[in-house]
Amino acid sequence: MSRERTRFVQTTVEVEGRTETRVVEVPAFEPAPWTADTPLSIVGTSPLRVDAFEKVTGRARYTADIVRPGMLYAVIVRAPRAKGTLTAIDLETARSLPGVRAVMGIGDAPAGTRLFKREVSYAGQPLAAVCAESLDTAERAARVIAASLVIEAAPHAVTVDDAIAPDAPQVRKAGNTTEPDIVQRGDVARGLAEAEVTITREYRTQVALHSALETHGAVCEWNDDQLTVWESTQGIFRVRSDVAKALGLPQAKVRVIKDYMGGGFGAKNGAGAHTYTAALFARTLGAPVRCVNDRRAEQTDSGNRPATVQKVTIAARKDGTLTALVLDARIPLGISGWEGGPAQIFHEMYACPNVRTSETCVYINASGMQAFRGPGYVEGAFALEGAMNALARALQMDPVVLRLKNLATRDERADREFSGNRLDECYAEGMRRFSWHSPVSRLPSPVSRLKRGYGVAAQTWPTGGGPPSYAHVRINSDGSVDVLAGTQDLGTGSRTILAQIAAEALGARFDTVRAVIGDTERLPYTGNSWGSMTTPSVGPAVRMAAEDAKMQLLEAAAQMMGLPLVVLSTRDSHIVSTDGASLSFGDLCRQLGNIQIVGRGSRGPNPELAVVTVGAQFAEVEVDAETGVVRVVRVVAVHDAGRIINPALAESQLHGGIIQGIGYALFEERHIDRARGVTLNANLHDYMIPTMADIPAIDASFLDGADPAANHVGARGIAEPPIIPTAPAIAAAVADALGVEVCALPLTPWRVLGALAE
Amino acid sequence: MLITINGSPRQVDPSRSPTLLAALRDQLGLTGPKLGCDHGECGACTVRLDGDLVYACLTLTAACENAQVQTVEGLAEGNTLAPLQQAFITHDAAQCGYCTPGQLLAAAALLERNPHPTDAEIRTAMSGNLCRCGTYPKIINAIRAVSDAGTAAP
Ligand code: FES
Ligand code: FES
Repeated sequence: MSRERTRFVQTTVEVEGRTETRVVEVPAFEPAPWTADTPLSIVGTSPLRVDAFEKVTGRARYTADIVRPGMLYAVIVRAPRAKGTLTAIDLETARSLPGVRAVMGIGDAPAGTRLFKREVSYAGQPLAAVCAESLDTAERAARVIAASLVIEAAPHAVTVDDAIAPDAPQVRKAGNTTEPDIVQRGDVARGLAEAEVTITREYRTQVALHSALETHGAVCEWNDDQLTVWESTQGIFRVRSDVAKALGLPQAKVRVIKDYMGGGFGAKNGAGAHTYTAALFARTLGAPVRCVNDRRAEQTDSGNRPATVQKVTIAARKDGTLTALVLDARIPLGISGWEGGPAQIFHEMYACPNVRTSETCVYINASGMQAFRGPGYVEGAFALEGAMNALARALQMDPVVLRLKNLATRDERADREFSGNRLDECYAEGMRRFSWHSPVSRLPSPVSRLKRGYGVAAQTWPTGGGPPSYAHVRINSDGSVDVLAGTQDLGTGSRTILAQIAAEALGARFDTVRAVIGDTERLPYTGNSWGSMTTPSVGPAVRMAAEDAKMQLLEAAAQMMGLPLVVLSTRDSHIVSTDGASLSFGDLCRQLGNIQIVGRGSRGPNPELAVVTVGAQFAEVEVDAETGVVRVVRVVAVHDAGRIINPALAESQLHGGIIQGIGYALFEERHIDRARGVTLNANLHDYMIPTMADIPAIDASFLDGADPAANHVGARGIAEPPIIPTAPAIAAAVADALGVEVCALPLTPWRVLGALAE
Repeated sequence: MLITINGSPRQVDPSRSPTLLAALRDQLGLTGPKLGCDHGECGACTVRLDGDLVYACLTLTAACENAQVQTVEGLAEGNTLAPLQQAFITHDAAQCGYCTPGQLLAAAALLERNPHPTDAEIRTAMSGNLCRCGTYPKIINAIRAVSDAGTAAP
């Protein structure tokens, strides 16, 4: 067998501004891209969600629905204050309660889990855990332990202002702030000097909580030295490596399963305290253990979108041409977290020769951040798009005209071309659907307490996905098809769209194809379902696997049918020849018996192009000038994401992003009591997420088309983009209605009234 | 003590499961009623108790003696889905699906009370059932479709 292909290639890639050497795997073959003109019959249509039946009947099993024989229940005891030293804790009383099977405290968990430390650095930090025969008993025992905690309190800082004050308490030994991360291009001083109009604003965004309806949770069970973890997660392989590392196990001994999950939104990307707690108790007690966050724990310590303070200067000529963009941002991450702040969108959204951003992360005594749908870009867009709208008002220009004038025609940050970017068409289509009339030319509202306003904002977001991701397509002996990929469906519909892609590539009927996902033991590797990456990463791997399987089927058929390969193709689960002969997959496979056809696919390297999903949103609001209440009347959204695999599911993603964006714009905000450092609204009553009564008329769509330069499926990601422009579009509409800007989120009545009073 | 669950009398021990939600899930093995908050804030646990909509997490098991409880498992007849369930599928009204059982029961109760609700009535009636995935527009479409079809029993 000849092996001429160079399979592994070292290449340098840019990761968040740093250059890294990475190994890239070159696939055995790359299918020819599906272009906008390729006739496709399953991809681009909207077959119903394949797992909807389970969901509407209550049969879908989520992690908290997993029941194992003899299962026990674990509850974590959390710190009631933000900083100090645990000086006393009584585990023994809890241990002796009837029904309690085990307790863990300081020093009882392996260091790799980072659980149960004596030093308290945020309220909600796990300090101990208890395991009992019923959840009720475990909760009761947890309360007994909680009541025994003695914490010698130390001063804390839970706001950015407190953490950077001259006499701020020390949050982290290494310091409360990181060195500013400065990224620039061009000469900002010159850009500012050239400007004819300069706008400076300070924008503030709040801490938002993911609030997935299903909380984080895990069920763990040991069989000898093999651990099975059922986890509500966006990344089964990541949970596997986290658990293996923390517990010192080979990955081969850990199996992670995720069947259904009740939302993730970025917070469920790895193993957590609940996973380790369940795994450790299960090992000690020799019984399966379930550990699921209650709502309070979820809203306190499962991640959040961090707040930002962003000082923005935007400079332009009178004709609207941008000459400089400057951002100075502070991001209070919590006690930990990665960066991924608001700066990047400043470098990517507009053509501007001179851009300088500075991001300083600040550590505070609060639970650490986690990626939350469009991390950084959501916060950055509020400031950048707010400043663009302020500039438009100052220039008396239509904000769409201003944006079109400064449209990015290439990725100026990384100095490369776009694979595709039709933002101009998104504006045009959005204006048409919204009947956008320039706010400048509109007559002032009639004198009334209810003021109408109109606003616009736009987004960009990197959605190229990339390797590694693998898939297998297995043809069963009756001609039905299994698509095997170790990915996960968060509610996005990946089960459905991967089956669509496989059916299309294979020429199989959609209803004969099933996607099997969510099990590390049985399925090939794919990465986390984050960064809107599942479709552009796993989709091409699935297509390649299906094309591979198809070639094998055709080869077999050529011999069975006694026809040359070139005359054969597949359609509707049949092999068909140019002269009209036809053989069903089922008949062919029955002849093959149990000879198994397995196609293998992998995701090839990315092109040297910027792959982004872009879009524009238009909002109409009604503001009660007496009460300060903002009502969103309608939102029009038009995005360009290349090829849309399933328009109905894609529209659902747009709705979800926009509705979360409305919550972020109007009322979602975590409140921490400055004095004690505890979250005051750690529930779904006081932390308000949108209800059905809050939602406006939404007209959300994608441009038709495909992006064959991005990958051979032609699809980019769609899940995160729609949340990015919603809040700034609403804020722009509020400013339009009232004639004053509100530069802080959320736009609560008191903020609106405060801005009006100024 | 006996509770009639989806038409069948079932034996339940209220001392083991103080809330109806715990009784349904832990004693009877039903997975339709979901735990989202345990405090009456989200509606994931919504079931019908003698026809009324209740949050099972706030309902005392002991108060349900001899009552009729309907969960999402009781909407379909075997594998034949109720029109609302079918409409939720057709209109893609379930993303992650975690809120869906509660949404379905709330919608069923609404349509029984008011077979032809206005949009405003749908929004008000359904606002006790949160959906973090933002499926609301499609839930409205699904309810609309069933209402327009005039199917008497949702
Ligand atoms: S679980 Fe009952 S209302 Fe949330
Ligand atoms: S579909 Fe996910 S919470 Fe409603």
